[in-house]
Amino acid sequence: MAYDAHHAEGHAHAHWDTSVWPFVISFGILFLAVAFSLHFVYHSSFAAILSLGLAFPMIIAGVAGWTSEAMGKGEGLSFGAMGWFILAEAMIFISFFVAYWYTKLHVEVWPPAGNIELPKVMPLVMTFVLVASSLTIHYAEHLLHLGNKAGFRTWYLLTMVLGAIFLGMSIYEWSHLIGAGFTISTNAFSTIFFSVTGLHGSHVVVGLAIFMAGLPSVLRGTDIDEGFMRTAGLYWHFVDIIWFFVVSQIYYW
Amino acid sequence: MNLKEWIFTTDHKRVGILYLIGSLAAFAVAGIMALLMRAELSTIGPTITANPTNYNVWLYTHGAVMILGFQIPALTGFFANFCIPLMIGAKDVAFPRVNALSVWLFYVGVILALMTFFIPDPPDIMWTGYPPYSTITTGNTAMYSFTVLILGFASIIGGVNFLTTVAYMRAPGITLNKLNIFVWCTLGAFVLQLIFVPVLGTAVSLISMDKYLGTNFFDPAKGGDVLTYQNLFWFYSHPAVYVIFLPFIGVVFEVISSHARSAVFNYKMVVYGGIGGIVLLAGEVWVHHLYVSGMADWLRIGQMVTTLMISIPVGLMMISLVGTLYKSSIAFTTPMLYALGVVFLFLIGGLTGIPLAVPSLTLAVSDTYYVVGHFHYVMAVAGTFSIFAGIYHWFPKFSGRMYNEFWGKVGFWLTFIGSNVVFWTMMDIGVEGMPRRYYDYAHFPQFESAHQLMTAGAVVLGVGFAIAVLNWIIGAIKGPLAGDNPWGSPSLEWTTVSPPPHGNWPTPPSVADDWHPYAYKKG
Amino acid sequence: MHKQQVKGTIRRTLTAVCGSMLAASSWAAGVAQSAVPKINDPARGWDSLWHEVIVDITIIGILFAVVTAWFVFSSRRTADNQVGASPKLTAASAVGWTVLPIFIFLSIDLYTAANGWVLWNHYRDVPADRLEVKLESGMYSWDYTYPNGVRTQNELIVPAGKPVLLRMTSRDTLHSHYIPDFRVKEDSMPGRVTYLWFYPTKPGEHLVTCAEYCGVMHSYMAGRVIVKSADEYAAWMKQEETQLAAANAPAEAGTPAAKPAAKPKKT
Ligand code: HEA
Ligand code: HEA
Ligand code: CUA
Ligand SMILES: [Cu+2]
Repeated sequence: MAYDAHHAEGHAHAHWDTSVWPFVISFGILFLAVAFSLHFVYHSSFAAILSLGLAFPMIIAGVAGWTSEAMGKGEGLSFGAMGWFILAEAMIFISFFVAYWYTKLHVEVWPPAGNIELPKVMPLVMTFVLVASSLTIHYAEHLLHLGNKAGFRTWYLLTMVLGAIFLGMSIYEWSHLIGAGFTISTNAFSTIFFSVTGLHGSHVVVGLAIFMAGLPSVLRGTDIDEGFMRTAGLYWHFVDIIWFFVVSQIYYW
Repeated sequence: MNLKEWIFTTDHKRVGILYLIGSLAAFAVAGIMALLMRAELSTIGPTITANPTNYNVWLYTHGAVMILGFQIPALTGFFANFCIPLMIGAKDVAFPRVNALSVWLFYVGVILALMTFFIPDPPDIMWTGYPPYSTITTGNTAMYSFTVLILGFASIIGGVNFLTTVAYMRAPGITLNKLNIFVWCTLGAFVLQLIFVPVLGTAVSLISMDKYLGTNFFDPAKGGDVLTYQNLFWFYSHPAVYVIFLPFIGVVFEVISSHARSAVFNYKMVVYGGIGGIVLLAGEVWVHHLYVSGMADWLRIGQMVTTLMISIPVGLMMISLVGTLYKSSIAFTTPMLYALGVVFLFLIGGLTGIPLAVPSLTLAVSDTYYVVGHFHYVMAVAGTFSIFAGIYHWFPKFSGRMYNEFWGKVGFWLTFIGSNVVFWTMMDIGVEGMPRRYYDYAHFPQFESAHQLMTAGAVVLGVGFAIAVLNWIIGAIKGPLAGDNPWGSPSLEWTTVSPPPHGNWPTPPSVADDWHPYAYKKG
Repeated sequence: MHKQQVKGTIRRTLTAVCGSMLAASSWAAGVAQSAVPKINDPARGWDSLWHEVIVDITIIGILFAVVTAWFVFSSRRTADNQVGASPKLTAASAVGWTVLPIFIFLSIDLYTAANGWVLWNHYRDVPADRLEVKLESGMYSWDYTYPNGVRTQNELIVPAGKPVLLRMTSRDTLHSHYIPDFRVKEDSMPGRVTYLWFYPTKPGEHLVTCAEYCGVMHSYMAGRVIVKSADEYAAWMKQEETQLAAANAPAEAGTPAAKPAAKPKKT
């Protein structure tokens, strides 16, 4: 019987694939959650910092180890998978918008007391920057597809720079508003404003981090994983599209 | 056995077994919480604890862990992992490392949930976590938020993984109309997870943000609205019941079809009408959990209709299950007993949902033990029985050995009797007015004997479950070797050796034109 | 103000749209909505509809269970290598086995929905001639305020024969004012006002209990609805009013009693 051939007791069996990184990342995240509780619930900041001291190295080591282990060995399935992942991500934004509309449409007075006038020009400039970065990454992919690696590198880097400029402008705007006394706890609108723009900003950060992960191979100019680049680009377009909703709903409506 | 190759494994079968061990451990702990609750309720006034908070924490842990730590991981973690690649003839999932990440995140989530017993001020906000209580209690709401977020994230990446796997990694010849019903059901569940878990994640993040970071989502004084949370929460948590229902009924289809050696009746009706219908309707019925929350009237009336309509796809699946039994060849093995138990007992659970779907009737029974009875029939009974049926059914495959048939049946009958005693009584006193989440029922003295009956029933039920779990543990260690295909099923997972090696088949399988997972052949 | 009206209209329209989906089958439910204002006691409506729905689902359940039991009984495996012998479905019968049940289930659903909707209207349309009481719930008490300013705690005293409307809100967490005997409950919460009504017909006492988890002492949050005959109620109310006037007299400056002072409780 086939069974005996493969699995006789104590018999040295075939090698099973392993990876330590998922384990390391998961427990890193556990310490992250514990740190939050320690600081905010039990007000023990020292213990929280210790916990963070475990969490961050584990997560960073995990991600780095994972990338170096897996980069370039994918089977080209990540593009399709990213589509599903984006569906889930979009639902987070939709939830926030629904919370926003639900709150807004159920009260007589909106915005609630304590609001200030939001800037109107800055968001337009930010929109322009983000749209431009979507176009640059698209063009970069096009060049990569044609085999023009140097051109690809230029436009890839340009995309990252545009993303960073966008983040810079966000930070500038936030600090400006907070300086004017408009903080996350002012009222329900400020709560929505900071959480939605913050959530979007964190997606820009993730997008940039994905580009970072691809950066070594781009700079080297060898083993550029085209599937990876397309997937990264897809995520970036998503971040861009979401911004349209953020801008139109939060700033102009 | 090499421990390192187990803990750091990326193989879908081992990841699946890790899921199984974790979720059964979670089940045992949450079940013990249930027994503590039952002990407390066995007399009026304080029985085993004088502090209501203890009871509330047990109840919180029981609900949250049973749903998020036991059933969803057992179904979409263990069964999906172990069965799907084998059923579609793939050597593994699309992203094995992501799979490992998902199982370890699941463990982290369960660890967070169970820290409840070791931390000061444990969460006491029930598995629903409604504000304003969850934002003003001294209990640790952050623990709840992180538990849910982490388990949710584990589930999302699992979902992405399996949707990709089934889309791109089917063996040659396995067309969409030749997928096992279980695979279809699980895909439906994963689509629901991808759409709705992020909403839950948002909801539970908002309460911790309100409590710890000073935001005002739910504070009316600052323009917020308390009902926002309930809408977001149920917008996920209703579909979540179908995330449980779809895979568990999928398991029941596999078990019934194999042990009755009969093709699934009207396959396409199940896939397109049943699963498709549920996925389409799942997102339009959440308000039936808010019938007494003061929602707009048009929402309550509109969602009464959609909720009632859920009976259509579910009813189609029931017809198919019953039809599969027609002129079949039934062997009354332990998995088959559990599966048949589901057919009967899910009827009770599902049909008692019908009066709940009507808001005018719900005004009297909402938040009473009637509701508790309803959902224990569908989840704790039908859901758990399906999981047990599935574990028994694939036991020879994943362990390579056979469980003990006699003790299996003893366990089944104990759980069958115990469940009905406990959960039927619940519905009974619920209609009479017994509210849920009561540490004490001092002003309902008439229910004391019913509560005692339920406590006794719960012990019988618990013993039945424990016998099953012991049966697996002993069977896995020293049961007789099972052989590759003890049930005589044509489904692909039975064509490889038991337990399957890394890579599943020495040479990738491909199937003949007339092959179908339910084409039973004599001999 | 204006916004309020528009929203009211939208809400009514949507209710009507959802409702009209049921209108057709509401005829089947055999209901004629009469123009004469009469009191439709929802508690009685509840009892009969509940009974009807339970009978319906029991019939459906037994039908399925009996067929299943019969198939199971008649299909026991007799030989080890036996396989099922069910006939293969033709395409037409496969479609038939799908479409027919859909129609049957759908009509049961719509019939149930229509009945439910009628009863729902009884629950939501409050008779114009009523006693209107404000309720503020809090951890862990029910505080009632009558139209004339009289307040009680955990005891809602009402006259027999007059519908009672509660307008509810909460000062802290969620609560749910549940009166099992009158088959009604509705949540109260901060920032919103919800309502429920019931129709006490004869003197007696009824339990009020909290049905929404609201905190540690949730299970102890109970009170009573005390129904008195119209005369007794009037006498009681008169006494309360004089007490209230006496209490307010010194504090003429205009601050109403800050908290519902511990009322002398009578039974
Ligand atoms: C696996 C889990 C599961 C499943 C499958 C279901 C299935 C259903 N549930 Fe249940 N439910 C829960 C788990 C589940 N539920 C939980 C956990 C809660 C409480 C949560 C909490 O508050 O903590 C709950 C609460 C709950 C409520 C809210 C009660 C309240 O809090 O006031 C309602 C109201 O409508 C409801 C209705 C239904 C309906 C209509 C179905 C339908 O899907 C059932 C459909 C099935 C059938 C109808 C039987 C088979 C069909 C036929 C035989 C066809 C013919 C029948 C007809 C035409 C009627 N459920
Ligand atoms: C899948 C879900 C699930 C399952 C399986 C169960 C199972 C059980 N539940 Fe629970 N229950 C819920 C989901 C579930 N429940 C939810 C969601 C709530 C609402 C929470 C809330 O209000 O927020 C609830 C609430 C709830 C209440 C309501 C309390 C209240 O409102 O005040 C009660 C009361 O009796 C109860 C009882 C039970 C009992 C007796 C069992 C029994 O079936 C349990 C029996 C199992 C065991 C006793 C474990 C067996 C032991 C082993 C497997 C270990 C063996 C190991 C070795 C031998 C090594 N449950
Ligand atoms: Cu008030 Cu529960
Ligand atoms: Cu539901």
